[in-house]
Amino acid sequence: MNPELDLELTRIIKARPATLWRCWSEPELLKQWFCPRPWKVTEVTMELKPGGIFHFIIQGPDGTVIDEGAGCFLSVEPERLLSFTDAMGPGYRPRGKGFMTAIVSFEPVEAGTRYHALAKHASPEDRKTHEEMGFYDGWGTAADQMEEFAKSLEN
Amino acid sequence: MANQRIDLIFSTLADPTRRAVIERLASGSAPVKELAAPHDMALPSFLKHLDVLERVELVTSRKVGRQRICALHPEALAPVEHWLTTQRRIWEARTDRLAAFAEALEDQEQPLIAPGKETRK
Repeated sequence: MNPELDLELTRIIKARPATLWRCWSEPELLKQWFCPRPWKVTEVTMELKPGGIFHFIIQGPDGTVIDEGAGCFLSVEPERLLSFTDAMGPGYRPRGKGFMTAIVSFEPVEAGTRYHALAKHASPEDRKTHEEMGFYDGWGTAADQMEEFAKSLEN
Repeated sequence: MANQRIDLIFSTLADPTRRAVIERLASGSAPVKELAAPHDMALPSFLKHLDVLERVELVTSRKVGRQRICALHPEALAPVEHWLTTQRRIWEARTDRLAAFAEALEDQEQPLIAPGKETRK
């Protein structure tokens, strides 16, 4: 872990590992939470096996499309651990670009799941587009969106 | 704009000579002559690199007698730290949404198993 490039978070979530696994591994479910509204995940392609494709396309309210290309899964351990990278494409083919490797894991605890996410990044100067930065800067107000979404599910 | 500033710092650090200067200065201030020594280039070319570093305020210099002494100004990297802060915010927010979604999903699929269960937020 390099504190200048990597980040780590742990959260106790009141849901079972099996449910969190579904949220990560079923495209239709992933679309529901992966990016904040009004941005939308319009397409998710995943083949859940090491070296399998992981590709998503995001669309903004003004029609902006974010497509960073196809990455791949590195390890797939149902209900326990999922890792992927955008530095390699399907079949572990090096892409010569890419920025991140992420490892998310799920551990059953009494309250639900101890969720752990680790994102390792390439050096910042490898990141090519600053449009992305602006895009990500627009990803705020998570609490509001979360609440709105939770409400919509309850109805 | 913070983003332009980040961009400028990244492009500044993209050059190996300038990175080498930063690395050298990380271990302490040094005169220009000493900084230039390991680099296989004419002094005016090296001074151009130094100038770039000074313009983005990663390096400061002062005259001491007939020497110019350079020092690192790490505070200039603050906007770059912001970059990781942004990544963290994305992940935190994403986890907030995942938690809310997964919890709601379980509430939906288990109403008959635990009918009296308190509704989660």
